[in-house]
Amino acid sequence: MGTEVMKAFTMMAIALPTMFLVIVGFIIATTLLRKAFPATDEDTDES
Amino acid sequence: MEALMLEYPWLDELLMGFMGLTWQHVVMWIISGLLIYLAVKKDYEPNLLLPIGFGALLANIPHSSAISQVVGEEGFLWVLYKGGIANELFPILIFIAIGAMCDFTPLIQRPIVMLFAAAAQFGIFGTAVLAAMLGFSFENAASIGIIGAADGPTTIYVASRFAQDLLGPLSVAAYSYMSLVPIIQPPVIKALTTPQERRIRMGYQEGKPISKTTLFLFPVMVVLIAGIVAPISVALIGSLMFGNILKVSGVVDNLSECAQNELSNLVTLLLGVTIGGTMSGENFLTMQVAMIMGLGAIAFIFDTAGGVLFAKLLNLFRTEKINPMIGACGISAFPMSGRVIAKMALQEDHTNFIIQHAIGVNVAGQIASVVAGGIVLALIPALAK
Repeated sequence: MGTEVMKAFTMMAIALPTMFLVIVGFIIATTLLRKAFPATDEDTDES
Repeated sequence: MEALMLEYPWLDELLMGFMGLTWQHVVMWIISGLLIYLAVKKDYEPNLLLPIGFGALLANIPHSSAISQVVGEEGFLWVLYKGGIANELFPILIFIAIGAMCDFTPLIQRPIVMLFAAAAQFGIFGTAVLAAMLGFSFENAASIGIIGAADGPTTIYVASRFAQDLLGPLSVAAYSYMSLVPIIQPPVIKALTTPQERRIRMGYQEGKPISKTTLFLFPVMVVLIAGIVAPISVALIGSLMFGNILKVSGVVDNLSECAQNELSNLVTLLLGVTIGGTMSGENFLTMQVAMIMGLGAIAFIFDTAGGVLFAKLLNLFRTEKINPMIGACGISAFPMSGRVIAKMALQEDHTNFIIQHAIGVNVAGQIASVVAGGIVLALIPALAK
């Protein structure tokens, strides 16, 4: 297998798990954000 | 003829267009015509394909002054290229405009859908491996893979940094296939799912109200997390989220409106015609470009398969099943992909409305594609050494 193909495989092996980790980070942070700042009556009225 | 030219030097000036004409120019006229036809008659991404098609026409007239690189006589397309593409300015400005148009509410209401969007980025990496196998250098292969982000500005941003020679074909492939989502995704989904799976109902979920503070802090949070993981992606994701904060802040409606309308229209116009200007026959009519067009389609197929198979994998562990088709909406082609999948669900069962879920995943795809682009931007220079 050529070097370029190996580099592409390495990129996939690193990037896909990293991608999922970052996304899990987003999910946790978004959930915490919502819990920290729940919608008030004012928000509900305006939406 | 040469004697005539010597006798009447002005003839050279008058006939240089005819004399310089090659078969490549003529083929490129046909390709320009095809892009303009698709934009005007078929309504395929007309905002981009029309300027690209016309820019390609301007670039394929022998000795065209529009693309002249002669110092002191630079053509306007070359000036725009140097000032807007080579320095990555246009894609960044487009991201500000897209950010101002994005509504992340469905995503904040159900953040878990971001997982589907992550899975649907598989096309980027699968295609990069295939491109490397076909003989492309690693930098070019990774840039080709980015077509799988289904996100034109990200493709242009990465290509302008790592594959400037391929910028034209990569951009055309990205925008063409984005407009072909209704043709590409359904057969792939049908091949990977059973009719029973496509009929899975997901029920309407009352969207919980989101506070203004959460909406305001969400873009800040995304920039901080993505920026710390891949600082090189800050320009990309930062501009997207800057556009969004203009919108959600609620205090600069004039700037938000400007980003959504004037900025978006102006930069789209300049971006399209400039990309078209890079499509000279000698650069475009190559086997490499033919392979890029094929790999672009494969990238979208891999994306769709990645999202659908991930949803099927989750279903193995869940009691409440997910309609696996929504996994395919994790690409950035918004809202087209979400609508296509919602329509497919209705075709299987005319009482099955999954558009709420499909659009939520599709919005997540817009963030995931930029995050994937950022990770690729960080990894290319590290691995290319």
